[in-house]
Amino acid sequence: MTSARRAPLGIAPRQWADAWAGLKAIAPLMPGSALFGLAFGALVNVAGIGPLVGNFASVSVVAGASQIAIIESLRTGAPAAIAVLTALVINARFALYSAALAPVFAAFPMRWKLGLAHLTTDQAAVVALQHQDAWPDPVRRRWFVVGGALPFVVVWCIGGAAGIALGPVIPEAWQIGFIVPLMFLAVMVPGLRGAPALTAVGVSTIVVLASHGLPYGLNVLAGAIAGIVVGSLVPDRSAHPGADDGIAHDAGAGE
Amino acid sequence: MRTFLIFLAAAIGTYAIRVSGIVLFGGPRRLPERVERSLRLVGPAALAAIVANSLLLDGGTWRAFGAWHLAALVTIGVALWKRSSGWTMAAGAVAFAALLLAGA
Repeated sequence: MTSARRAPLGIAPRQWADAWAGLKAIAPLMPGSALFGLAFGALVNVAGIGPLVGNFASVSVVAGASQIAIIESLRTGAPAAIAVLTALVINARFALYSAALAPVFAAFPMRWKLGLAHLTTDQAAVVALQHQDAWPDPVRRRWFVVGGALPFVVVWCIGGAAGIALGPVIPEAWQIGFIVPLMFLAVMVPGLRGAPALTAVGVSTIVVLASHGLPYGLNVLAGAIAGIVVGSLVPDRSAHPGADDGIAHDAGAGE
Repeated sequence: MRTFLIFLAAAIGTYAIRVSGIVLFGGPRRLPERVERSLRLVGPAALAAIVANSLLLDGGTWRAFGAWHLAALVTIGVALWKRSSGWTMAAGAVAFAALLLAGA
């Protein structure tokens, strides 16, 4: 106990080392997280949202695509319920990670499970799933997992804060809004494989465009749901039903 | 205040989604195959919806053809070629900046 007390923050050197290993595993993805945070922060400004609320969103929601969707909903004057519902549909994919991570976290204390759940991003989930076998000891594993999740979220929040601070000086002529389709194309297209996913993308796009007369950005919600429903009716011929969620995890997909 | 409450509700709902499987599937239980298949399509479907809405539409009306469309084509091309998010972001940003400078 005394030795633990001499360690920084009461965390033993061994545990720092394990967390450091986790950080190294997710480090290549962190520039993308910072960049995406920066883009979100800039959009917060464009939408006229205050800095406190903007930073609160980064820290509390920790899911960039849904945060940007909320901002877009607000800009179209959507009712609050529709803005929240759109965000939750986009974030439904976390249910898949959560179920996949359950056996990885099974031996952790409950407070660790509850804390790590908040830090689950697309990228951190993949890191934890890919490295789980190298960390059979549950204590060491949980420090690895927190090292591979928390710094990524911190970078996301710092990027957001920087974007909020810098937003007012970004000239309108730069058309910063292009970051939204650019970011999501970069996250979606590289990992796009298989008939169900391609169908989901095609149906979603067509429905969004065909229903663009709908108020409050409801066409986005309609497109996403139609894509999921029709895509899941298409038989999947790929022989490896692993943890592939149709999202690129190699770089730059800050969430 | 309204915006704060919207983000708060989204945060609570998102946390509930994130914690659901970890708590419910702590044992040997697995997600039903059909549910898992549908959840796997949430990413592509939702992201495609956001891309279509922000790229091809502008506040509910069609976006005039120009730099956005051309830069997006470059982005998609590089994404399919390199299969890397980093390369895709970089190429799309450079293409868009070049098109803006060229006055497209």
